[in-house]
Amino acid sequence: MEIDRTELLRYLGWRGQELDGTMLEKLDGAAKRCLGIAEPRSVMRRFALNEDLSLGETGFRLEGEDIKKHLAGCREVYLIAATIGLAAERELAKLSAVSMEQALLFDTAASCAVESYCDDICEDLENHCQRALTSRFSCGYGDFPLTAQKEICRILDTEKKIGLYADKNYLLTPRKSVTAVAGITDAPAQARAQKNCGNGCSNRCGSCGKTDCSFRKTE
Amino acid sequence: MDFTEFSKDKIVVFDGAFGTELQKRIKNAGTVPEMLNLERPEIIEQIHRSYAEAGADVISANTFGANEIKAGGRELSQKLVRAAVQIARRAAPGKFVALDVGPLGRLLEPMGSLTFEEAYDAFAHMIEDGKDADLILIETMTDLAELKAALLAAKEHSDLPVLCSMSFEKNGRTFTGCDAAAYAMTASPLADAVGANCSLGPDELLPVAEKILSYTDKPVIVQANAGLPDENAHYGVSADEFAKTYEKLIDSGVRIIGGCCGTTPEYIRKLRALADGRKPAPMPYRPRSAVCSAMKVVEIDGVRVIGERINPTGKKAMKAALLAGDYDYVAAQAVEQTEAGADILDVNAGLPELDEADVLTRIVKRVQQVSDLPLQIDCGKADAVERALRHTVGKAIVNSVNGEERVLSAMLPVVKKYGAAVVGLTIDERGLPKTTEERLQIAEKIISRAKDFGIPEEDIYIDCLTLTVSAEQGQAKETLEAIRQIKKRHRVKTVLGVSNISFGLPNRQIVNTAFLTAAIAAGLDLPILNPNVPENMQAIAAMRALSGEDKNCADYTAKFGGVTVQTSVTGGTKTREKAEEGDIFYCIRKGLPAAADRARELLKTVSPLALIDEYLIPALNAVGDDYEKGVLFLPQLISAAESAKLCFAEVKKLLKAGDSASKGEIVLATVKGDIHDIGKNIVKTVLENYGYTVIDLGKNVPPEEIAATCKRNHIKLCGLSALMTTTVPSMEETIRLLRAECPDCKIMVGGAVLNADYAKKIGADWYCKDANADVKIAQYLFEGAKEVPTLQSSR
Repeated sequence: MEIDRTELLRYLGWRGQELDGTMLEKLDGAAKRCLGIAEPRSVMRRFALNEDLSLGETGFRLEGEDIKKHLAGCREVYLIAATIGLAAERELAKLSAVSMEQALLFDTAASCAVESYCDDICEDLENHCQRALTSRFSCGYGDFPLTAQKEICRILDTEKKIGLYADKNYLLTPRKSVTAVAGITDAPAQARAQKNCGNGCSNRCGSCGKTDCSFRKTE
Repeated sequence: MDFTEFSKDKIVVFDGAFGTELQKRIKNAGTVPEMLNLERPEIIEQIHRSYAEAGADVISANTFGANEIKAGGRELSQKLVRAAVQIARRAAPGKFVALDVGPLGRLLEPMGSLTFEEAYDAFAHMIEDGKDADLILIETMTDLAELKAALLAAKEHSDLPVLCSMSFEKNGRTFTGCDAAAYAMTASPLADAVGANCSLGPDELLPVAEKILSYTDKPVIVQANAGLPDENAHYGVSADEFAKTYEKLIDSGVRIIGGCCGTTPEYIRKLRALADGRKPAPMPYRPRSAVCSAMKVVEIDGVRVIGERINPTGKKAMKAALLAGDYDYVAAQAVEQTEAGADILDVNAGLPELDEADVLTRIVKRVQQVSDLPLQIDCGKADAVERALRHTVGKAIVNSVNGEERVLSAMLPVVKKYGAAVVGLTIDERGLPKTTEERLQIAEKIISRAKDFGIPEEDIYIDCLTLTVSAEQGQAKETLEAIRQIKKRHRVKTVLGVSNISFGLPNRQIVNTAFLTAAIAAGLDLPILNPNVPENMQAIAAMRALSGEDKNCADYTAKFGGVTVQTSVTGGTKTREKAEEGDIFYCIRKGLPAAADRARELLKTVSPLALIDEYLIPALNAVGDDYEKGVLFLPQLISAAESAKLCFAEVKKLLKAGDSASKGEIVLATVKGDIHDIGKNIVKTVLENYGYTVIDLGKNVPPEEIAATCKRNHIKLCGLSALMTTTVPSMEETIRLLRAECPDCKIMVGGAVLNADYAKKIGADWYCKDANADVKIAQYLFEGAKEVPTLQSSR
């Protein structure tokens, strides 16, 4: 789990504005504070993906055209739930009482942290199954309904295993948490160095021509 | 024979896992596995019977997730619970049947959206519906607040014995961060047995059990998993290994044993054999003076500081904040005192204009969100204290009782019920005592009456009263002597408000420090003081070093080695290394704290209101414009707003009573069901620093509360936020209610899933794409700035 500075800036809506040393220090401080406090926990299970997009014998069906497209060609999927825990929530509540600027930076750093944690999980899973995974697809993406959040949490028993709840309105608590489906493709696992800047560009950063891109990721 | 009688002087055996046994018999148990109580009762009965035959004394009915929140309604919940208890009875005649109460499946406030009252009601209903059981087992809890709601519901809706159990991770804490010792201290007064279950194998639970044992006077229950599951959900600890560790658990004092996930009748058979051959070991618990929050235990085995700042008496800003319902101010005070080194926080809402019970409870809830320190509930009214204690997650101090019988008999039952500690003021119906002897007499009366209610000396903190030395010079000596005497005669602790001593004298801190030092030397354990005053904390650090409490003077050295010591004179405002460059515009734009210095300089020549209108607002406008153009990004906008806030603080210092710098009142809220409030908080920061007064109702706010607040305060502008598509309907409902109740109130909305079309559809006046848009709307509405057309007018 890491918090990449450019990633953090991207989440904050940065568009190349001038950054002074103080701001950079604040960004790095928030990232460090967040990594120090995070309690990453996760749970995942592998399922056969049936013709009707239901998972194994669970009776839980993935609904929506978008996830169907996303998982085209996959016969198996991983169901993943991950959180960085309640300690980060408490820290955020504390910072909000003292300084909104610190709160904003910490909140954003925590979002980066949970995504990075999920990247690590997927990398481990790829290594484990020796095959490439599709990118993660979460409830609320396209027409994959938020209501699936509850079922995913139930099937993975997230409440008992990692302290993650889906609320009445399908919100996850702790807030800095992710549930997702990742398809297992037939392709062999790829090295992770091929990162994408995640900024709407389809090139892998390593081979991208836009060398002055502010979101370019370097290994 | 009832369960309490049965369980005396023996090791009691509970059953083992239900869920994992069920999975062996049925592949997909569905969303609510308790439905099988109605659909396949024979399977449930079979599992119970297998445990009864293995020798369990107690069978847990299949009600773990049968509460109304998980089942989706009281009616179904009731059916499931009743059926479950009957099945268990039928399966195991002659055995005890436990109503098994698990978590509700939603997280409580403040981290989740379920209120304490909703949780309490759900538990109460289940407990009433399960009245035919012989005992109540509340288990696999991870949130101490939820457990407390369940325990209170059980105690107040049933006479059955109540056993409780939480789930811990290897670090000895639950997922929510609750500490095992804090749990034992908080739950013991309300439960008949406390313990741990699930999540870990018996070996890993042993240290957790030992910790619980040393903090509870109740029997301890342990129901471990059969180790941790591997990838294929196989549990690693065999029945023999399992029973082997349980020998150690019994040796250390555990009296109630059973199994959780992965255990089978085989495991219970081994535990039965173990129990038959053993007598309970003596319980290691000894009473101790300690208080706690969910996260942290504070042992009173040295000088511990009670922070006094959250109290409106004589504090203008706190008074104004409480009257305005500004709990963020309270939160900031809590954080500041926590960081200054307080060990416990006093909370007080004693203003005649306030509904004390209500405000005190709100303060307790808000402070617990931002500080992990235990609380001292500072209030003399038993009903208000009780309400605050219900919401206190941990063991608190009640401040206070005195020697009057009327006070003692009203307050002590409340103190006992919640297991709080209590401050005893050495004063009674005769008034202030004059001598050491009178103080001792009153203290001893309090100690003796507390004992009548079952409150041990360790939980009594005697206050020998600080009187003003300039008015009653002889009294300081008497106070100190009384502390010395009471500590000699009893195991009580002593507490004292310090700063009263110097009232009416110049340079009061000199006297305060001397008195504090003398009182600690006399045996004072709990000074109540302002931890933000450097001299106070310096004196305490020094006394801890001198008394030997601070081993090798390590803390003292760490704190004061190589630093320039601050005093309240030099340290009142933070001194900066060197003055930063630039005028107030530059400082605000760059988000520099030096903006406050510039404001102070300017205020020597310009009026406070001119400073706002001619400097602060233009500076913020420039920043806002640049943010809109993309020259600055969000953290820079917020950082500018925060330095402007420091300038406003300087302005406020100079405003006379009645003068208002407020440009208008705005209500902000994150709607019911939504707990994502960072966007709303950003808007608040920005609006406040443009001079608007913001009434921030927080997150997860019911429509009724928002409408009532707007109506009561004749609000002209209300801002609502919602993050998710699933919470926008709640926003729509709020708007409908606002239209009906407050036709003059305009509504602006914002949040991740919203856009102008969506906002128009749900009936809002404006959609705010960012924090700056809110300012434009406020300036138009309150100050006649450029019109911002409403969404509805373009219809």
